[in-house]
Amino acid sequence: MRYRLEILALVAVLAFILLFLYTTAVMPGAEFAGSDSVGSGQIASLTGREMESFTPLVPQWEPPSGEIEAALFALQAACGGVVAGYIFGRWKGESERKGPD
Amino acid sequence: MHIMEGFLPLEWCLVWWAVAIPFLCWGVYRLRRVLDADREALPLLGVTGAFIFILSSLKLPSVTGSCSHPTGTGLSAICFGPAITSVVCMVVLLFQSLFLAHGGLSVLGANIVSMGIVGPAVGYLVYRALRDTRVNLFFTVFLACAVADLVTYLTTSLELALAYPAEVGGVAASFGVFFIIFAITQVPLAIIEGIVLALVFKYIIQLKPEIISRLRIFPDGAIRAARGEG
Repeated sequence: MRYRLEILALVAVLAFILLFLYTTAVMPGAEFAGSDSVGSGQIASLTGREMESFTPLVPQWEPPSGEIEAALFALQAACGGVVAGYIFGRWKGESERKGPD
Repeated sequence: MHIMEGFLPLEWCLVWWAVAIPFLCWGVYRLRRVLDADREALPLLGVTGAFIFILSSLKLPSVTGSCSHPTGTGLSAICFGPAITSVVCMVVLLFQSLFLAHGGLSVLGANIVSMGIVGPAVGYLVYRALRDTRVNLFFTVFLACAVADLVTYLTTSLELALAYPAEVGGVAASFGVFFIIFAITQVPLAIIEGIVLALVFKYIIQLKPEIISRLRIFPDGAIRAARGEG
């Protein structure tokens, strides 16, 4: 079947969304924090130290707010999207110039 | 999978840097060799690298009530091997360390080892084991990508467990704790990442089958079959 993978991907995304809705329903208190910071919290409780006592070994700039962080993540994805789109477009153009093989 | 800056003791930062650096050097060497041999490999490198950028920027919610990143490294590992993939990952992780406070410069080595080296290497082994069998090409890509994602988080768990063994039960107990946080969260993300990257690979194989064939990524018969010609 020609679009088997596309259909499978669509079903997977839908299943993923349903799973998310189910999770929010059964875990009303879930914060959906990053697993990075959950892991760091675990380190703090394993060592019995405060989260704040873990200071960067190398000074680090932090995005001043979640919005700015989101913007920079979007920028990262956009860079990837532009590159992927450009190359797929180029390949498509090349194969059309050559004619159907 | 990012270990946060400051959350890994200095000696472990150095250990993981020591593991990562030779691998990165090998990656740069391999990258030059591959690109010198075939300029047409560059766009493929661009596409596979681009999907690392895209997928690793997404934080997706999961069943444990926390969010985590896919890694997107599987395609690059399949097409170019883990050494070159580690170099691409270093670029992404450096960007995230400098501008997003995800990871950091001291823990960059540890994060490169998990996302750029061990995950892609195990994904690559899965692909190599299945490449010349009768297993469907897209299933091979799916499995290699999902495994690369999952193993990345297992490695992070192991890195943290080694640095922070539990008082009772030691490294193994501590690994169990981090395993639940990182790896369980990752299972649904790994599955969806595998399917998405298999779909991307379908488009690559439709548009540019000759590069997949020339770099000997899959046997010609499997490529023809995947394009619906065989």
